[in-house]
Amino acid sequence: MNSIDPVGLANTVLGGALLGGLIALSAVGLSLVLGVMKLVNLMHGQIVVLGAYVAFYLAAFWGISPLLALPIVFVLGFAFTAPVQRFILAPVAKHGEEAGLLTTFALAIILENLFIRFFSGDSRSLDTAFSRETLAIGPINLPTIYLIGFAISLTVCLAVWMLVTRTSFGRSLRASSEDPISAAIVGIHVSRVRWGTFALNGGLASMGGVLIALCFSFTPSSGSEYLLTAFAIIVLGGLGNIMGTFVGGIALGVIQSLGAYFMGDGYRTFVGLVMLIILLAIAPNGILKRRRSL
Amino acid sequence: MHLSTRRRRLAGGLAFITATALALTGCSPIGADGGTSDSSDPIRIGATIPLSGTLAGFGSFLQWGYQHAVDEVNAAGGIMIDGTAREVELTLVDDKSDPNEVTSSIKTLISSTKVDALLGSCTPDLVNPGAVVADSQGVPFVAECTPIEVFKSVKEWTYAWDIFFSVADQAVAPFEALEANGIETNKQVFILHDNGPDGQAIGNEIWPVVAAEQGYTVAGNIEFPADNTDFSAAIQKAKESGADIVLISSITPAAISIRKQMAAIGWTPKVIVAEKGAEPVQFAEALGDLADGIIVGAYWDPSFGYPGAEELKDAFESETGLTSSQHIADSYTAAMVLMDAIAAAGSLDKDEINDAIGETDGIYAVGPVKFDDEHAAKIPVVSSQWQDGVPIIVWPTEQATGDFLFPVP
Repeated sequence: MNSIDPVGLANTVLGGALLGGLIALSAVGLSLVLGVMKLVNLMHGQIVVLGAYVAFYLAAFWGISPLLALPIVFVLGFAFTAPVQRFILAPVAKHGEEAGLLTTFALAIILENLFIRFFSGDSRSLDTAFSRETLAIGPINLPTIYLIGFAISLTVCLAVWMLVTRTSFGRSLRASSEDPISAAIVGIHVSRVRWGTFALNGGLASMGGVLIALCFSFTPSSGSEYLLTAFAIIVLGGLGNIMGTFVGGIALGVIQSLGAYFMGDGYRTFVGLVMLIILLAIAPNGILKRRRSL
Repeated sequence: MHLSTRRRRLAGGLAFITATALALTGCSPIGADGGTSDSSDPIRIGATIPLSGTLAGFGSFLQWGYQHAVDEVNAAGGIMIDGTAREVELTLVDDKSDPNEVTSSIKTLISSTKVDALLGSCTPDLVNPGAVVADSQGVPFVAECTPIEVFKSVKEWTYAWDIFFSVADQAVAPFEALEANGIETNKQVFILHDNGPDGQAIGNEIWPVVAAEQGYTVAGNIEFPADNTDFSAAIQKAKESGADIVLISSITPAAISIRKQMAAIGWTPKVIVAEKGAEPVQFAEALGDLADGIIVGAYWDPSFGYPGAEELKDAFESETGLTSSQHIADSYTAAMVLMDAIAAAGSLDKDEINDAIGETDGIYAVGPVKFDDEHAAKIPVVSSQWQDGVPIIVWPTEQATGDFLFPVP
C-alpha cells in the first residue's frame, strides 16, 4: 500500500459522506414501503432508473436542467407508481407477503426490458453546469454536484420526516405500520395510506435516480445495483427511520470510501457489506435506534 | 370456494405477469423455428449479441453489421449449396451482456435452431463462452471484437476463429501516438483497469511492461470490478500520484463514470487513454465535451480505403441516422468471411465450412484477413481521439484524419 496522504484521505472520506447522503434519497421510499407495507419492493431499483430516464429525456427534448426537473420527476414517479400499487400490488397483497415480493420481481423484469425496448441498452448520463465544478475549502476539494445533491437529499428527507411526524397522513402512516388492524378499527383507511406510501416512494426514488445519474452513468440494467445499495442503507439506518436512512447513507458512503481508499476500489462493496454485518451485530435496529437506546 | 377463486385470480395474475416478463426478456431466439434441413431450407447462421446490459453499446453495431452482410448476400441471390441457391437466415439473440446467457443461447441455437454456423458476440467475456460451446459441438464460429491474445489463450481451437487486433499492439499505440505527435509529459502513467479477461491482461501484464519499454514510469495500478460505479478513491489516488497520463481499461458505463468523477473533483490529467469503454459513440454522447481529447485504440476508419468501407459507413448512417462505429466493419467482415467460406465449401458440411474459413485470404471492409495457425487474424491498430463527438485518427500520422488534441481540455 502506498503512503497515506491526509488531504487525499480527507477528500475521499468527505466525498464519500456527501455521495452517501445524496444516494440516501433513493433509499428513503424503500424504507417507508418496507416499514409501512411490509413489502420488499424488488422493482425499487427500476423506479430509480426510471427517474434518471425521465430527467434525461426532459433535458434532451426540452432542455430542462436535471436539477430543475426534480419536481416534475417526482410527480411523474408518483403518478407512475400509484396505479401500480392500486391495481397490481394491492390485489395480490391479500395473498401474503410472498405474492407481493414475486409481483415486484416480475414488474422489475418487465420494466427493465421496457427500458431496453424504448430507450435502448446504451449507457446514459445526466449533466449540469455544476457537474464539473469543485468547491475548494483550503486543501479540500469537494465536487459541487455532491454538495448540491447532499443538500437536496437532506431537504427532501427532512420534508418527508415532517410529513411522517407532523401531519395527519403521517399519523395514519405510523399507525398503519405499527398495527394495521387497530388502525383500521379507529377509522384509518389503511389501503389508502399504503397507496400513498407506495406512490410517495415512487416519487422519491425517481428523484434519487436523477441525483445518482448526475454523478454516474446509468443503463436499463442499473436498477439491481441501486436496489442493493438502498437495502444496505435502510438496514444500516433502521427500517422506517427517515433520518436514520439519511445517516445510514452517509455512514455507508464513508465506510465504502475508506475501504476503497485503503484496499482499492475493488473492495468498495465488499468492505461496505462486511461493515454492515458488523454494525448489525452491534446495532441490529440501525445506527440511530442504537444511539437512542444508550 | 371463495379462497379457490382468489387463488385462481392470483395465479392468473402472476401467470400473466410472468408470461409478459418472459416475452419481454426474449427467452426464445428471434425467428427460431427449429425444423429439419432440406434443399429448400435457408442456410442458418446464429449469434448472440449484447443488446442490453453493460456491453449494450456494442450490440446494436454488431446487429447492423451482421444483418447488413446477410441482406447483401441474400439480395445477390444467396449462396449456392450443392448447386442450389439458398438464402441465409440470421438468428440473433440478446445475451444481455451475460456470459451464462451466451452459453445457454448458443446451445439453443445449435440444438433447437439447428444453425449451420455461428458468429460471435463482443468482448472476451461474451465471445469466449460462445466459442467454447461451438468448438466442443463442432459448429464453425467466426468472432471479432475480442483481442487475439485473449482468444488464443483460452484453448487450442478447432472450429472457432477470431478477427481482431492484438492487445499488445493496442497497448503500444497510445505511447507511439504521443511520441509521433511530439507530446511532452512527465512520463508517469497511472493505470485503472477492470478485472475482466482483457482488463487484467492489459492492465496487469501488458501496460506495465510496455510503459517501462517506452521509458515511462507506472505511478500506480488499481484494479476494480467490471461493474463498479464509484471510482472516487481510485481517482483520488491517481491525482495524488502526480501522473500526467491515465490509462483506463473498462466497459463503457465505468469509463463514463470515471471521466465524470475526474471532472467532479476538478482534476484533468494531460492525457487520458480509455480502452474498450470509450469506443462506442454512446461514450461521447453521454459525456459531451468531457469526451474531448480522450484516446482510444481503433482499427478502422472509412478513410483507410478498404473495399466497401465508405459504402458501409454511408449505408449505416443513412439507414439508422446514427454516427457509425468501427464495429460495423469488423462485424460485417466476420459475417462476410463466414458466408464466403460457406460459398467456397459449397456445402453445409460443418467440417468443409471450417476448412474453408481457415483458407480465407482476402481484403475485406475492415482490412486484410488471413488466419494464423492459432485461428486468429490480426487487424492493425491505430489510435483515435474523441474530438467534438467524432473519433479522429491521430496515429499513425500517415493515416491521421486530424490533429492531436493536447492536453485534454
